[in-house]
Amino acid sequence: MARALFNGLILLALLVLVALPLLFIVLQALFPHLSEGEWRGAFSALPTLLEDPQLVPMWLGTLKIGLGVALGSLLLGLPLGALRGLFRLPGAALWDLLFLIPFLTPPYIVALAWTLALQRNGYVAQLTGLNFDSLLFSSSGMMLVMTLNIFPVVYFAVSRALMTSGQRLAWVARVHGASAWRAFWQITLPLTLPALAGGVLLAFTLAIEEYGVPAALGARAGLTLMTVGIEQKLADWPIDLPGAASLSLMLSVVALLAWFCQRKLTGSSDVTAVSGKPVSQDAADPGGWQWPMLLLFTGTTLLAVALPLGAMTLSGLLNTLSGGIHTSNLTLRHFAALFSQQGDALTAFSTSIGLALGAALLTGLLGFLIAWRVAEGKTRLLALMDGLALLPAAMPGVVIGVGLILLWNRGFWPVSPYNTLAILLLSYSCLLLPWPVRYVSSALRQLGPTLEPAARVHGATRIQALRLIVLPLVAPSLLAAMMMVFAVASRELVTSLILAPAGTQTVAIFIWRQFEQGSVGQGMAMATLTLLASLSLMLAALALLRGKSG
Amino acid sequence: MPSLKSVKTGAISAMILTSAMMMNDAEALTVYTAGPGSLAKSLAAGFEKQTGVKVNIFQATTGKVMARLEAEQANPQADVLISASWDTAEDLQQRGWLLPYQSPNAANVPAAFKTDAYVAQGISALGIVWNTNSHTPEPKTWQDLTGPAFKDQVTTPDPALSGASLDLLIGLQNGEGEKAWQLFDQLKANGMVISGPNAQAVTPVLQGAKAAVFGAVDYVTYNNIAQGEAVKVIFPENGTVVAPRPMMILKTSQHAADAKAFIDYVLSDEGQQQVAKAWLMPARTDIKAQRPLITEIKLLPVNQEGGSERAAVLKRFATLFGQ
Repeated sequence: MARALFNGLILLALLVLVALPLLFIVLQALFPHLSEGEWRGAFSALPTLLEDPQLVPMWLGTLKIGLGVALGSLLLGLPLGALRGLFRLPGAALWDLLFLIPFLTPPYIVALAWTLALQRNGYVAQLTGLNFDSLLFSSSGMMLVMTLNIFPVVYFAVSRALMTSGQRLAWVARVHGASAWRAFWQITLPLTLPALAGGVLLAFTLAIEEYGVPAALGARAGLTLMTVGIEQKLADWPIDLPGAASLSLMLSVVALLAWFCQRKLTGSSDVTAVSGKPVSQDAADPGGWQWPMLLLFTGTTLLAVALPLGAMTLSGLLNTLSGGIHTSNLTLRHFAALFSQQGDALTAFSTSIGLALGAALLTGLLGFLIAWRVAEGKTRLLALMDGLALLPAAMPGVVIGVGLILLWNRGFWPVSPYNTLAILLLSYSCLLLPWPVRYVSSALRQLGPTLEPAARVHGATRIQALRLIVLPLVAPSLLAAMMMVFAVASRELVTSLILAPAGTQTVAIFIWRQFEQGSVGQGMAMATLTLLASLSLMLAALALLRGKSG
Repeated sequence: MPSLKSVKTGAISAMILTSAMMMNDAEALTVYTAGPGSLAKSLAAGFEKQTGVKVNIFQATTGKVMARLEAEQANPQADVLISASWDTAEDLQQRGWLLPYQSPNAANVPAAFKTDAYVAQGISALGIVWNTNSHTPEPKTWQDLTGPAFKDQVTTPDPALSGASLDLLIGLQNGEGEKAWQLFDQLKANGMVISGPNAQAVTPVLQGAKAAVFGAVDYVTYNNIAQGEAVKVIFPENGTVVAPRPMMILKTSQHAADAKAFIDYVLSDEGQQQVAKAWLMPARTDIKAQRPLITEIKLLPVNQEGGSERAAVLKRFATLFGQ
């Protein structure tokens, strides 16, 4: 009985957060006049959409970029994540933090920073004379920039999975005569497979639903991706809501297919690595390999973090872009201006941080509960729950935004979150719910099925078992996911732009408007300050948690 | 997660949420606006000071503003709309969404920039934005950008994303017919690239990655120049187009009287001076500005309106540039 009630509550949350906005998008795609509150002209938007000669190239381009980024993230994230999870890496926490930075920086800012750094007469060219113009504005350039931004999902998934499972089984293999390589290949790697597949799939879906980089580089690379196509339908008058909704549905279908593939691939192979026996979590000593390892991490950090961040900070410090890199052209005026704009920048910052915290707590709690329920059984209801929770990963932000307006801005609701900050919290939570669900699911798949029953046998209630056994065991994954939710939510642009109540600004909106008005310097200054502040917040949170547990 | 901390954060987020809900009180005037956010803000502040009516601003690009308006049809929120594209106003008028209103302060607005339902807030023009450090000769006409000096040095906003940029294409087609398409051909052959909306086309020129923008909105660049950037706005001798920014009151407005007062305020001396301060041309001819006015710019013939023409021009341009 309690279980049914519990399922009901979770389903209700999913209904409000995911299913209803989605339903309204489907309705909008089918009934073009829905936004006027009318049902006429059903299906009339579809033929025009299918006749669009851009449709096929857009599809192929999106798939190509998605697969390229997934592959790139695998090639970069797997080795780094494996090293992090298996070996005692000097400064481990620092590298984790550094790899979180790509998530703290909005993709469109990263793309702009890369452009300012690499284009003809960009910062790199000004300093070294080398010019990467033709690489940057090509599909490989887009894949590269997106991979460097997205690979941390694979890195975190793999390293966290390895840290949870420990190396005990691999040591058993070693004791029985397997070589280190063979133990990795036949024991460790298969154990991380669910996490790896989840991470790569997430990288793929993140890439196909990414808007910032394709918008900044796509036009010059001659590639229009789906998300940009959807935006375009909403960018110029007359607005094509039904077309945008239909395109988004198509995009979601691709992501759903990817999800089914992942389930097929990893669904049958349950692996148990955490069985309740005491495990020494000691990572291996890398010995002489420490330096090459550090070199690899440093190189990646320089490329993925230092270069775009350097370009970003520099742009905030330059008095004028046309003045180039000269000491006489350096100024703090863009930073100073942030504090003098009638408190706008500070309000935007606190709004974003508050919303990001809220979203992290909400999705963390809900995501954990969903993943835990789903891991328990294979009923159709649970599969539905799982599917619903992961679906938003496939939805471009702009569409969730429109879906939420269509849903909530109706006369018939007695109270509505629309036109309040709550609508932003809803949209962030909807967009980011898949993260905790994925991360916790892959951690749960490694828990032995006997742990919870054992606790129950010894008299623990269901809730006690959940709180004292399951939660602590998946806590590293959950925490990592919540940090990512926080990071992404604190700078989310697309839904913020369309949903922010009149008179309210978030960090991303503030920066975006600075760019629109040609104030690159001020936008970049704000981006830099926000990044520093969010990083210190995260560091403080980590230190607090560590203090509690140790 | 320590429970005390979550209680605290919960309380804080609850406080943020409730205060946000209280801010959106029903008596405030809601203005949806494209274009300079600082202008919208100072206009709102000035109006509030004068009348005591609070103004909530939603500011974004024209596309985002219109998408929100469209999605909100079932339960409209906006009272006043300020768009950056004259077309949107015409279209909304045809749909019957607008409340007719002629402000007494519109007397000095030229007839071309007002109808009985909408009136220009200010006007921008399209020009060439040229980097003065680029070691290229200063362009005087659109055709100058097709010369060898500008090989691979020109960028242009995407007309699919920038209504003003599309207006320029239509203006050139109306003014020069097929010669306009020869110009686009030559620009393409000379390596002109298309890059996103207005700001995305201008930034490379600021940094010197490109030497000139073909058809950028002027007021953003005037602002850049005021910040010390080494660029110049050039209005070509063979003519360009202007982009008046229409303001209008939605028929669904619950605050029609306040909305009318707001339009009056924007068209007042004080309001128009703020418009001029944002580097736009004031809609009223009797207000001074710190930049070239419409009388000093050679204009291309005004286009005969027609939605199909816009779509056709856009399609032809997109095909030409292989997008």
